[in-house]
Amino acid sequence: MLILRLWNYFRGYVIINIEGLNLERFINMCIEKNIYLWNIQRKSYTTLEARVGIKGFKDLRKITRRCGCKISIARKNGYPFWAHKVKKRKMLLTGAFFSLLLIVVASSFIYSVDIIGNERVEEDLIINALGEMGLKPGVNRYSVNLREIENQMLTEFHQLAWVGIELRGIYAKIEVVEKIQPPEIIDKDTPCNVIAKKNGVIERIIARNGDAVVEKGDIVSEGDLLITGMVQRDSLQSPLYVHAYGEIYARTYYDIIKSVFLTEIKKEKTGEEYSRKMLRIGQMELTFHGGKVPFDNYILENEIKTITLWRNIKLPVEIMIEDYYEAVDIEERLDIEEVKIKMHDEAIHELMEEIPLEGEITNTIIDFQNTGDLLQGKFTIEVIENIAQQKKLDIEED
Amino acid sequence: MKKTEEIKKTIADILELPQDIVLDLPKITMVGNLQLYVENHKGIVEYSSNRVRIFTKCGVLRVIGKNLLLKNIVLEEIVIVGEIREVEFDD
Repeated sequence: MLILRLWNYFRGYVIINIEGLNLERFINMCIEKNIYLWNIQRKSYTTLEARVGIKGFKDLRKITRRCGCKISIARKNGYPFWAHKVKKRKMLLTGAFFSLLLIVVASSFIYSVDIIGNERVEEDLIINALGEMGLKPGVNRYSVNLREIENQMLTEFHQLAWVGIELRGIYAKIEVVEKIQPPEIIDKDTPCNVIAKKNGVIERIIARNGDAVVEKGDIVSEGDLLITGMVQRDSLQSPLYVHAYGEIYARTYYDIIKSVFLTEIKKEKTGEEYSRKMLRIGQMELTFHGGKVPFDNYILENEIKTITLWRNIKLPVEIMIEDYYEAVDIEERLDIEEVKIKMHDEAIHELMEEIPLEGEITNTIIDFQNTGDLLQGKFTIEVIENIAQQKKLDIEED
Repeated sequence: MKKTEEIKKTIADILELPQDIVLDLPKITMVGNLQLYVENHKGIVEYSSNRVRIFTKCGVLRVIGKNLLLKNIVLEEIVIVGEIREVEFDD
């Protein structure tokens, strides 16, 4: 009966010990006087333990006189007694009140501003701009208008597509989404050149407009002119500027060099262990357990315990535990074929990420060289791809 | 006295009235051997942790068991909690 227990708690009750010879008479008199007793328990031949409400307890006095038994209070229980105790300790109450107030006031300030989602726009720039608009650490959270700042941010930074400010307690989280700049499209009427995007050997030229200045087999490097938009003919007096475009397919090479030592030195723990404990305060290090390490060859495992005050703010006090395990060197000879396969897989995987999707792989060259303990592998992938890129033509007007 | 009792009993029988009300008898309810409710008692005669005697209209009700505790005691009702072994009426 939780409800009954709660009710009793709020009304307050006392646990009493009743001492006397005729205790049944006492109980009967209580019933008669309408005093509610509960949890009556026989303690010994002459004593009973019972619970009674505060009001009932006062009425008990008369009964005890009549039936000649003694009552003593074993414990006072319930809210009224607790409240009375607290009332006497005024400073405790004021202290509790002020600490609550302090928490409420302190938590209404913004303590840290975090920005997520920026890749191209610098964080400092955003933080400075936000500070000017009134959102910075130390500002009251109720004094800033977040929606207005969001809009202001959007007008200030054109690179941003969306700004969302969220207050999480004392921590302001600003999420930004940057606009993805579309590739520069040159208007069809604007004269332009076609230049090389990558190094390569020209394989095929399709000049749809303009004059190609390279031929098949030419070696071009990044930025070289491929199709010119400045058309000069004998019949023309001044050059004609056109919007050059076309596809230039070239053989490009992607390569990577990897090297692996064939013998690996592995350290194995012998089971001997030695640990050192240190206390670091600022720059000072105090070793308070353990001295010189008794092993020459060991594996070191570090454990640092710090006290974190708040997020990234740490106390400059650290406890460092260094565990030294004695170790033996074990040389291990790796299987050359296995290493080769592993290197190959890794290299191909890395190269594939660089190669554009539309490129056509024509050849793969793998070259392994074994010099002593070192195995070197060179992986080259030959690709035919379009390297054309349009670039605006600067016309010097005479 | 005996006569009036008998008349009451007959009337209760005929009218199908609950006898505990008409005859002022105790109503005893048990929950397993854990709890015993006695309604309409006339007071407690003896209480110790293994024996409780309660005065009722039809004699003394004796409850024997272990760790008996008077959970609740008011004018109308007594609740005994504990390990009850025997319940019997003494004259």
